[in-house]
Amino acid sequence: MNRLSVKHLLGIKDLTREDIELLFQTASSFKEVINRPIKKVPSLRDITIANVFFENSTRTRLSFELAEKRLSADVINFSSSNSSVKKGETLVDTVQNILAMKVDMIVMRHGSPGAPHFLARSLANTKTGKHAVVVNAGDGTHEHPTQALLDTFSIHEKLGTLEGKKVAIIGDILHSRVALSNIFALQKLGAEVMVCGPNTLLPKYISDLGVKVELDVDKALQWCDVANVLRIQLERQQIKYFPSLREYSLYFGIDRKRLARLDKEIILMHPGPINRGVELSTDAADADNAIILDQVENGVAVRMAVLYLLASKKPD
Amino acid sequence: MNWLIKSAFLVCPGHEYHRKEIDVLISNGKIKELGDNISTPSEIKVIDAKDSLLFPGLVDLRADLCDPGLEHKETLTSGREAAVAGGFTHVMVIPNTKPPVQTKNDVKYILGGNSSSLVQLYPMTSISRDLEGEELTEMLDLYTAGAKVFGDGDKPIWNTDILVKSLQYLQKVDALLVNKPCDQWLSKFGQMHEGVNSTRLGMKGIPVLAETLMIRRDIELLKYAGGKLHFSTISSKESVKLIKEAKKEGLNITCDVAIHNLLYTDEKNMMFDSNFKVDPPLRTEEDRKALIKGVKEGVIDCIVTDHHPHDPESKDLEYDLADFGITGLQTAISEAWSLKADIGEDKIIDAMSLNPRILMGLEDIKIQKGEVADLTLFDPEKVWEYSDRTNKSNSHNHPRFGENIKGKVRAVILGNNIFQDQD
Repeated sequence: MNRLSVKHLLGIKDLTREDIELLFQTASSFKEVINRPIKKVPSLRDITIANVFFENSTRTRLSFELAEKRLSADVINFSSSNSSVKKGETLVDTVQNILAMKVDMIVMRHGSPGAPHFLARSLANTKTGKHAVVVNAGDGTHEHPTQALLDTFSIHEKLGTLEGKKVAIIGDILHSRVALSNIFALQKLGAEVMVCGPNTLLPKYISDLGVKVELDVDKALQWCDVANVLRIQLERQQIKYFPSLREYSLYFGIDRKRLARLDKEIILMHPGPINRGVELSTDAADADNAIILDQVENGVAVRMAVLYLLASKKPD
Repeated sequence: MNWLIKSAFLVCPGHEYHRKEIDVLISNGKIKELGDNISTPSEIKVIDAKDSLLFPGLVDLRADLCDPGLEHKETLTSGREAAVAGGFTHVMVIPNTKPPVQTKNDVKYILGGNSSSLVQLYPMTSISRDLEGEELTEMLDLYTAGAKVFGDGDKPIWNTDILVKSLQYLQKVDALLVNKPCDQWLSKFGQMHEGVNSTRLGMKGIPVLAETLMIRRDIELLKYAGGKLHFSTISSKESVKLIKEAKKEGLNITCDVAIHNLLYTDEKNMMFDSNFKVDPPLRTEEDRKALIKGVKEGVIDCIVTDHHPHDPESKDLEYDLADFGITGLQTAISEAWSLKADIGEDKIIDAMSLNPRILMGLEDIKIQKGEVADLTLFDPEKVWEYSDRTNKSNSHNHPRFGENIKGKVRAVILGNNIFQDQD
């Protein structure tokens, strides 16, 4: 099998285990490529990709752009951090305008859950858009599929497999698209998942997704092989969920002392950007067992794999 | 004009011809004769109603006609056209217009077109100024102007003191108070039913608790204040249970459910289709079944269309930015009829004609000699395409727009006015 089962990458939810394994294989080859002296391949020559970002992003956008350039695609960037872009017409119109200039793929970040699904559905009914491929680069509090792919790829690389591995996702689960996509990806690959954080930041029905729930961060760390520590997303909280960052870091922040108390070494991950001293202390973030920068490197390879496989899947 | 409805099958619980074939002769807006086989006088228009069902005119207790203020979504005129095509002779419109229905003039604006129209509109008149829940409107004066039912429509009455005062104040005129039960803090920013599906979608949920908490609260307030209270658009199993118990205790409580909450569950939200974004939200299969049972057992008194028309600019959007609501007037009876095996035909007519008529303070319907003709003729088998060609509303935000729908209204008669489907 060398084809994905989907036309767009809207979420991990829609992928099969085989899709993810194919993406991993492809990403491994691309990782080898980007470590060569000449890092560029001609795979996506003559493919034009627009990175359309309706929300602020630094690393995801850079990572996508680099992945696109390494594949020799032509790249254009559009960003409008203006959250007052409220009308869907504006979204579809904006994208249609870009597509009218003969763009093949849209990489989109948007603040609304399901915005890429809405876009893909709307485009399917248009002349300019029906062949376009949509890649979700984060949609509100819903999914961030490429982040989950690069996270699981990084664990896979480190541990050889995900089957039976224990992964704790720690922090603000309620507002995190990274957490949701990771849960879906990890489960598809056979890992066990635990979520940990203040109870106000855990969705009430999260255990119905088949994950363990732990309120004590020390117990979560002791349980897991891998701890994926999430950024505390103050900007996405419309309501107060905990009293102070100080208290959060005291009770849920991970530092070297906490890690030293464990009777084993665990892998530490973070999707970035780190709030140093809040969810992760500097000494923990920079420790040897932290693979945070490997994640960043793998991000480029994984995104190359996503774009390559979607571009080569011819529209029906 | 004289009409003879020939060989219709009457569905009107309590009527002597209930579930029997009947001919109805209408002359000058009144029923002149009814019986088994009325001979056809000359100079009369005959409607051959073989295989069609004859109902007492349908009544909707909850529709948003957006007029005044949001006429691009719906007007009283387009709303009437959708209503009559959907078999309704009487419709109560909620006050969430711009401005809200809160003065004598506003009430007259809604009632004003009735004498020249088939579909009779009645206002649900706001109990709080600008629907803000802070200051009472002049309810007695509004009552005198023609308002018979009061409530803040889509705005839940969050203020306990305002609810108590309204219940007390309205007792003088024995008017119905309507509340839409939903705690505004627990439901804040909510987009769909809170449960495993909202978790999967990363979407802020509207918990069942937001509804049941207010129902519990209101039941206590009703015990304290007296009066009568109607819960509009309940959506959960627990709500049905609470209301059933309160009714058993003898409290003067009634309630309704929106047609879409009887048809769909939150599984429909999984593709982020904003046509399924409604308030209260579509909940679980367990809730849906409990609501159906509630109607069947008479715990839920009415099925409402909860007609909420929206233009594409406010509906065809990213899910969380889209407005809540489905248009329902034109399709509600067809969709309700699709549930006849679960609810029972008689109960559907109770819930969509007889009960809402009583709650709105209208005269009891009598399909009898000498009475005003108020009838809906429905062909349960006719399949029709719900499309731009057939749609009467100004809006088409409906999950089944573009599809074929089974069951169509053939004719509606109220007094001297008749609507006949031309399709």
